[in-house]
Amino acid sequence: MIEVEQLSKAYGATVAIDDVSFKVEPGEILGFLGPNGAGKTTTMRILAGYLPATSGTARIADHEVHSDSMAVRQNIGYLPEAPPLYPDMTVEAFLYFVARIKGLPIGDRAARVASAMERCNLSEKKRVLIRKLSKGFRQRVGIAQAIVHDPPVIILDEPTVGLDPKQIIDVRNLIKSLAGEHTIILSTHILPEVSMTCDRITIINQGRIVATDTPENLTARLAGQLGYAIEVAGDLDRIQAVLNPLSQVDSIKYLPSEGLADNHHRFQVMAATETDPGSAIANAIIKADLGLYELSRNRVSLEDVFINLTTEEPSVVPTDPHATDLQDTEAPSTEASAPEAESPDTQPTAHPPTDTSPTDTSPTDTSADSDE
Amino acid sequence: MNSIITVISNIIAIYRRELQSYFASPMAYGIATIFWLLAGFLLVILVFGPQGLLTQSAFADQAGVQSAPLDLPYEFTQFYLGLLGSLSMFILPALSMGLYTDERKQGTLELLATSPITNWAVALGKLLGVVTFFITMVLPLLVLESFIVGASDPPFDLRLLFLGHAGLILLAAGVLSLGMFISSLTESSVLAAILTFALVLVLFVVEGVASGLPGPVGDAIGHLSLLKHYNDFTQGVFDISGLILFLSYAVLGIFLTAQSIEAFRFQRN
Repeated sequence: MIEVEQLSKAYGATVAIDDVSFKVEPGEILGFLGPNGAGKTTTMRILAGYLPATSGTARIADHEVHSDSMAVRQNIGYLPEAPPLYPDMTVEAFLYFVARIKGLPIGDRAARVASAMERCNLSEKKRVLIRKLSKGFRQRVGIAQAIVHDPPVIILDEPTVGLDPKQIIDVRNLIKSLAGEHTIILSTHILPEVSMTCDRITIINQGRIVATDTPENLTARLAGQLGYAIEVAGDLDRIQAVLNPLSQVDSIKYLPSEGLADNHHRFQVMAATETDPGSAIANAIIKADLGLYELSRNRVSLEDVFINLTTEEPSVVPTDPHATDLQDTEAPSTEASAPEAESPDTQPTAHPPTDTSPTDTSPTDTSADSDE
Repeated sequence: MNSIITVISNIIAIYRRELQSYFASPMAYGIATIFWLLAGFLLVILVFGPQGLLTQSAFADQAGVQSAPLDLPYEFTQFYLGLLGSLSMFILPALSMGLYTDERKQGTLELLATSPITNWAVALGKLLGVVTFFITMVLPLLVLESFIVGASDPPFDLRLLFLGHAGLILLAAGVLSLGMFISSLTESSVLAAILTFALVLVLFVVEGVASGLPGPVGDAIGHLSLLKHYNDFTQGVFDISGLILFLSYAVLGIFLTAQSIEAFRFQRN
């Protein structure tokens, strides 16, 4: 239903999205997940025909979004980042207006407007001026205008922004209820949102797609791994000598040790679940007569997948150049093993483990907001 | 055929929303109130003021001037509508300034641009809406004028009066359309109003500039003058070139607006 191929958009020298490709099957809900400024809004706007792409194609219901814009517009309902509302109209009048400009036949309008208001729980507010509505209600009017004409494809840019927890649940249920007859693409930076509503998730970061999979599979990818956070007192060289030979351990990351007592060091250890190295680590450290201050196992959640795929915090890159990866293995840090497997043609956004320059973490961060 | 009906229905949808937003807007009522107050004040001054038509007429009688009797209805129509035209020059930019700046501020431009409706249909609907609102601003003035018309002897030439008002509406349509274009260029209503006023000012006085220029260039520029063609209307001269000029301004405004919105979509960053 939605086919995006090698879509790129540059604003001058700033690249907002780069070589983005994905597909949404009919009746499916695709979650478009990424941190703020990752290019979600830009992608949505291109799909809605509001912005032209610099290169690549996007097709909705077999119509190219730019060259065949009018045909696409008839097939989509679109909720932009800021809900497009006329403050001086009542909810009902506004939805009638939208129904008219979307080309809904006269006979269907009353029923469709009533049904949209009911689905979005707006019926008791129908004679209220939009100006007087709270943010949550405005957002719901925004969703109502996207579905009032019953479009086959619905594009929702951050549909739950500004809603309270109960409203968020309502909106999620609404979105779920729309699946099947409608193809939906929704963007968000809130993780539970996608895991609860979407059939598939596409994670985008700094304009590039880093992973596309079902929520379950994304979690499963990292669920095969588990991590330990360790705090040890002693010379770095000695700690290295103790930890490196441990065969169960896949990788060891040095974490910044600011704020810790003198000669205390923190590490993040990753290992496969079946070879749980907890006791081995503890034994090794105690045998070597090093001080073990913390050893805690952290479980992997979808949140971790998201963070791992989209962040390049300095914490995973040693601040001390002498204390790079203790094990000089190519064992990929937590960062980017998953996406590489999924989309071999997409470069991992994470830096290679050898990259030690903390200043290099995210050169495009400042420009990443340009699509906002 | 079907598509024509769709387009017309789109234009009507935009038109109704635009009109409704004027009637729901305190700002529009404020502008209308100022317009009515000033127009009423001008009418009183023109007829009853120290230099007013009645005084002039009385002076003429006393001086026993018989050769050139004042045609009061004619003088009234011409001066009063002339003043209304000048007054509109200040009022119209305030009406047109929000046509597109508000759409941008509310983000509704994104709704319009992603709906199956063409840019020019939006622009035409909006222009019809604001012109209709201006007509409703002019209508109450007819009540005032009717007192003068009713009390007048010799009687008014109603055709003259009608032509004058038609000229005023056409003038407004042209100015509002250009104002709409300027409003589509910026996000600031105030800037849009100021730029529109500046443009209208130029188009009002362009005749004076043109008369200084020699040859066909001066002639051509002179024809762009709003004042000259508007005065033709108020003097009861129905000049087809004036009609065409005002309609051309309206069409030009719609065309430029549609283009600028299209360009805006391509360039925004």
